[in-house]
Amino acid sequence: MADITIGDVERAVKTTATTVLRNEHYFSDLDGLAGDGDFGTSLATGFRVIDAELPGIDKSAIGAMLLKISMLVSKHVGGSSGPIWGTGFMKAAMVSKGKETVTLVELADMVNTAVEGIMARGGAQLGDKTLLDALIPVTEKLKAHAAAGTADLGLVLKECADEAENAIDATRGLVAHRGRASQVGDRSAGTPDPGIVAIATILQDWCTEFGVERTPTVPELLKQTV
Amino acid sequence: MKKFVNDPANFVPEFMKGVVLANPDLLEFVPEFQMIKRKDRPVADKVSVIQGSGSGHEPAHVMAVGPGMLDGACQGAVFAAPPVDACYETIKALASDAGVLVLVNNYQGDRMAWETAIELAEAEDIKVKSFIINDDVAVKDSLYTVGRRGVAGNFFVIKACGAAAAQGKSLDEILAIAEKVNNNVRTMGVALTSCIPPAKGTTIFDLGDDEMEVGVGIHGEPGRRREKIHPANQIVDELFDAVAQDIPYKSGDRVALMVNGLGGTPISELYVLYAHAHERCEQAGYTVVRNYVGEYCTSLEMAGASLTLLKLDSELEAYLAAPAEVAVRIF
Repeated sequence: MADITIGDVERAVKTTATTVLRNEHYFSDLDGLAGDGDFGTSLATGFRVIDAELPGIDKSAIGAMLLKISMLVSKHVGGSSGPIWGTGFMKAAMVSKGKETVTLVELADMVNTAVEGIMARGGAQLGDKTLLDALIPVTEKLKAHAAAGTADLGLVLKECADEAENAIDATRGLVAHRGRASQVGDRSAGTPDPGIVAIATILQDWCTEFGVERTPTVPELLKQTV
Repeated sequence: MKKFVNDPANFVPEFMKGVVLANPDLLEFVPEFQMIKRKDRPVADKVSVIQGSGSGHEPAHVMAVGPGMLDGACQGAVFAAPPVDACYETIKALASDAGVLVLVNNYQGDRMAWETAIELAEAEDIKVKSFIINDDVAVKDSLYTVGRRGVAGNFFVIKACGAAAAQGKSLDEILAIAEKVNNNVRTMGVALTSCIPPAKGTTIFDLGDDEMEVGVGIHGEPGRRREKIHPANQIVDELFDAVAQDIPYKSGDRVALMVNGLGGTPISELYVLYAHAHERCEQAGYTVVRNYVGEYCTSLEMAGASLTLLKLDSELEAYLAAPAEVAVRIF
């Protein structure tokens, strides 16, 4: 089974930046349906800097690179997204310290640690209609493939993207329990959570970047992916 | 969009620059962290009272920096909490032996940014505590939600804590004052129009010409309900009843009464609202000891208003009456 290299992680970060910048206004518009409409802009402010600085940052190890990215997020991303995404990158960095490649088992550990950090920071759980509703099933899928020793990383990525996309429809009807959308009561029901849409869009774009064939079906993805 | 902006991305630092240029003796500007602080703070024996939140609520929060009010504040982009780094640097810039009190309005982004920043500051042995303000009755507390929002009642928490800090009270004493104000202050607002964040360029929600949003949040968040607009007194009645019944306030209470404009409502309309709110206080047997009519916590150009009641005791009355100075002034 092929390992995931620092080059792969860099490509994933670069693609994420492209996704976030391309969808800056779309994500903010989604946020405006039940929230305050700052999600796309807040995230894009940070990823614009990450996109510009990525070629020059320390790539001696995956951990070092991700730590630097978490610092850029802490410095430039405001709103809820700063502490959430910053914590995620920092926790993933801590378990990939000194590593130039990671196995699927190690990648699952990175993602799992990041997700646990995000849960601790924001206090949200599965079903609260936040980006965790996409990240938790993705993590579970990743852990299952890691445990099974799946060799086809493309298949793993595709199935993770499926989980994230499924989360859009699975949570659409829920009332938000966390984040600013929670403060409008039942009115958040019926609108997709922008954090969940962002995770699903990023994973779909990763599929495209890494040559994994996958056709999205949810309208939010059909509209926004490349 | 028609607004006085240059590059929308520079909107926040440009207005902050204006505030400091207009108050050169009092304030200094740290552009890197979008922070404004008092020039003469910190001092070792005085607690520093600070805040930091999204922009678009002016005069909250950076325009509330001055003697007897905040000692420093950092701004995020419009309606977005400041980055963690800015919060951390603001704590550091105002750190004193007596300690730092961070007044945080109850929003997920603000809370997470300040919690992270406080952890970083504590790791450097800076004495710092925080207090969460949540005066908005429009949103019900529940086990699962982040709870009530912090809105115009924030002004009273700042005013009382700022006065207490100026008098040299300890960090724990000032924390207790913040808690007392927050326990006795309640607010609810109504929007007649939406608002336009400069970087977005379009309204944040749509509201019909004949509609109002009852219980609107100060970030243009939808309120509890939307309905046809009513005569002013009827709107006051709805806000007043929601606010007054919440604690509840009772006959014989001494209160401060605030009618706060959300940014796009003329002061004359605010006084129309105030007149009836004042009458409602008298009818209910509350004595209006202090009144506040104007813009304290806004949502850009949103037309609308909020009504705030604060139940007073002799200690809070004295803190509200204590001298203070901020960037916004008419004399």
